[in-house]
Amino acid sequence: MMAPLTVIGGDAAAPLFKVFHSALGKHLLIVPHSRIFDLPHDPDRDADAQVLPPSLVAALADTATGEVPLDHVVAPAPQSISLNVSSSCNLSCSYCYAARGSFQGAQPDPMSWETARAAIDKLLCGAERFSPVTVGFLGGEPFVNRSLIHRAVEYAAEQGDNLGLDVRFSVTTNGTLLNEEDVELMRTHRFAVTVSVDGGERIQNLQRPAFGGSRGSYERMVGATRPLLADPGLALVAARATVARGEFNLQERFEAVLSIGFREMGFAPLRSARADGGALRDEDWPEYLAEMIALAKAELERVYHGIPIRFSNLAVALKQLHRGASSPYPCGAGGGYFSVAANGDWYACHRAIGSPAFQLGTNDALDLNRRAGFLAARHVHSQPACQRCWARYLCSGGCHQEASNRNDSSCGFIRGWLEFCLAAYCELSANRPEVLDLGNAA
Amino acid sequence: MSQQTPIKLIPRNVAALRRGQPPAAGAATVPGNPASTRLESGVGNCFPGLECDLRNLERRFFPFLEVDIQDTEIDVVSVDIPGVQDAASNDQIPPNIAATYRQINTGVSQGQRWTITQMRGTYGPLGVRTLDIARLRSPSMGPDRLPPDAWTAIRLLTEGTEVQLTLRQGNTTRSLVGNRARYLDDNGALAKMFLPGELTQSLCSPWTHDFRDCGCFYWASNHPDIALPVLPAASPFPPPPEANLYVPWERKDRTINTLPEPATINVPVELSHYEINSQWQTLNFVLEGRETVAPYMPGGFTASKFANMAELVTNLRYAAGVELAVIHEYLAAAYSLRVVGVPAAAQDDVDAARDEIMRITYGEMRHIRAVNDVLRALDPAGFVPALGVASAVPATEPGRFNPVVPRAATPEAIQAFIDIEKPSIGVDGLYSRVLVTLEDLGSDEMRHTIRSVIADGESHFETFSFIQEWLNRHDPLDYLTKPDAVVALASNTLHQKLQQEYRSLLERLSNGYTLGIPAGASAINTARNAMLGPTGLDGAAEALAAAGFLVAFDRITDDARFAPVDHP
Repeated sequence: MMAPLTVIGGDAAAPLFKVFHSALGKHLLIVPHSRIFDLPHDPDRDADAQVLPPSLVAALADTATGEVPLDHVVAPAPQSISLNVSSSCNLSCSYCYAARGSFQGAQPDPMSWETARAAIDKLLCGAERFSPVTVGFLGGEPFVNRSLIHRAVEYAAEQGDNLGLDVRFSVTTNGTLLNEEDVELMRTHRFAVTVSVDGGERIQNLQRPAFGGSRGSYERMVGATRPLLADPGLALVAARATVARGEFNLQERFEAVLSIGFREMGFAPLRSARADGGALRDEDWPEYLAEMIALAKAELERVYHGIPIRFSNLAVALKQLHRGASSPYPCGAGGGYFSVAANGDWYACHRAIGSPAFQLGTNDALDLNRRAGFLAARHVHSQPACQRCWARYLCSGGCHQEASNRNDSSCGFIRGWLEFCLAAYCELSANRPEVLDLGNAA
Repeated sequence: MSQQTPIKLIPRNVAALRRGQPPAAGAATVPGNPASTRLESGVGNCFPGLECDLRNLERRFFPFLEVDIQDTEIDVVSVDIPGVQDAASNDQIPPNIAATYRQINTGVSQGQRWTITQMRGTYGPLGVRTLDIARLRSPSMGPDRLPPDAWTAIRLLTEGTEVQLTLRQGNTTRSLVGNRARYLDDNGALAKMFLPGELTQSLCSPWTHDFRDCGCFYWASNHPDIALPVLPAASPFPPPPEANLYVPWERKDRTINTLPEPATINVPVELSHYEINSQWQTLNFVLEGRETVAPYMPGGFTASKFANMAELVTNLRYAAGVELAVIHEYLAAAYSLRVVGVPAAAQDDVDAARDEIMRITYGEMRHIRAVNDVLRALDPAGFVPALGVASAVPATEPGRFNPVVPRAATPEAIQAFIDIEKPSIGVDGLYSRVLVTLEDLGSDEMRHTIRSVIADGESHFETFSFIQEWLNRHDPLDYLTKPDAVVALASNTLHQKLQQEYRSLLERLSNGYTLGIPAGASAINTARNAMLGPTGLDGAAEALAAAGFLVAFDRITDDARFAPVDHP
């Protein structure tokens, strides 16, 4: 186990367990390390705090062999980076956090080959040998800087071979600029391709217009992604939709996007945006939750008939619950993951390019003190609002960029969704365990 | 059940499994039987032997082959190619044999049928033979008899001896030579070639149609021929006698407002095949021998706790005394049964009764040890062995006690034994109170110890009921050496010899218990051995009984360790 930089103890009054229900009966979630048990059916006993001996709960909550204690702050070697290869985009989505890649002027120029290579070298030299290494491409629209992507992929793959590393790639793209060579690149390398698609033609064109505002992007996206969807090769392709307030219609969007040829799709609600940008408000969350659950139930119905899960949010949640995902951080920001700006600065997160608090190093070196400070401040035990929440190691406080918008309503959505997923997990694991046999659950 | 009863948690996700396991073990997919086959999920089966199908062993009788066996056919269903490659690379099989295995594997995987047509080997008592599998016939008699079918032939092959197979696919013929496989490894465990679940894969499930066809306690206990009827609503406890008569479970009359006619009155009118297939859901659940139509509620302990540790210890010491007292009574009864001179018609029943009373007595002996173990665990420093006999034992009515009276195994005596072993009253009631008190004052191990004593008591009760049934078929004069036998006078040398043996037994036990385990193991074992054989306690008791006296043990008043204990 890696030595911790520091240890941040949890709140002694924080709940260590939660009792929840599914169609099978009562279950117990041991909050630390997300252990799930079935509770016996006993009509004479309400299996909650009164009868679960504290010593038993404490023993179950203990860190087991091979698990990382949840109060440790560690700074592992970065295992994945994203390269902000482009500083511009051919679309102008209203909610874009990156201001089309320029990050409000913080990233005026695209990344150079020398900067990309230095970042890849730094990643590969420091990475742990036995886990996959990921090089991602972001922007702006990454494929605006197509030549750099191709060069970086060939270089990283070759260097990875030399070093005996399992190098993988990821890209988040609007899908409108893909050409034959791009598709072939993704087919022949292990690419996780996320295409930003918000729904069918109308909503896509409304929310994701081409830059200049004269026309939508739907048709170009469909046309350019078609060859990849038809034959993805080694690539795993998924659609990701941003949902703004006003109209959810998740089911309709889901069907529309799958009809294009995507095999899976996930949704992300818009939590922060400029004043008129359509971020969800308190009153929106119950409806959003209801639509997520309705979609998940419809999907589970199909799962029971042997059809793989296509709803990414559900699939990821079930997979995570199965292995007992439990972390004091919502993502790898500043830990195993960094985002490299076009100028070679290493940021904890791709959404924070240009934000000094997130700048933790450069292509030359990471600043361990800044990392330690960043990670300690963002540990879930350091979040007053999260300390006593039962979902604290599943949600882990949510996206750092959006933490300031967190409130009872948005947290209520997270807890509601998790509670639904917990029950769905138990039912599925009892009735269709093979669906959860994901091979790499450890 | 009390609030302190441990909660049984069943792990559901990998993280839950990982707690207390090596990390890799939690995530591994384990092939084999589903959770529903765990003992606790299973149903009792009236007919032993249905837990696995031993015929599946023969499916892997030949190295690297799995075969399907029908009457006079043996077909290859799979080839263990990794095993073949491993053996070939270690020069355990020659290249041409490995090539044959591969050829068969390729064929089988493409849907070709490879059949074992001839098998040469050592067939146990039938010696070395070459068998044409398709020509085996049943019956086969006389000195040149052959196994009647393929399975018997394989079963007869002597473990480890060479077997030559001729295999055919279409016009292609191949030979293989190997040794008949060992089904068990050196530790007696199933050989690794068997996959989890393989031995049970062919077991049948009781289909509804079969409920009707197969009778007489063949099926699992939840699909019986007869069961106790559903208890009438608001039934008193204990239930009325008419609710304790067995009724046909598959009866045609499915009305529930009246008690069904007992199965013994008339030949029961049962559901026909068609009806049982279409109305199986009207058959009632059977739990604990009784049809149940309401949600099942397990019974709980209602026993009251002892006030404190001192009261618990006093009662445990008394419990040990009660065990000793009933041992006195049971031994007197057992040795009163005739060993010789029993009419032939009664012989089996009398032998069985005597053996069973002795078996129960051994159980009570173990209980003495169990109670002493609990006493020692409760207070290791202050432990003094509890080996004083109870002056009186609990009677059927709460708060009443009966004196300890050695007597022959008369019908009255057997009834008294049934009463003392009755669940929830008598001795069992005493242990129930001990158990609930231990939930506060004792450990899990102590509770398990007492639970097993209680469980034994339930089986003793049942066994005495059987003994009563067996002996009641006969005249006491036929099975008792002397129905009115009395205790011998103190001057009787046989009686004195018995007392010496008994006293020496108690001394050894006291020493052993005082030292504890492991230091006292030797003394305890010596005590056990000294009870056996013609020169031991058994021999002394036999001699006294043969002389027409009761096997009885005198009160010990000159040694505080073995002095009688009164009920608290």
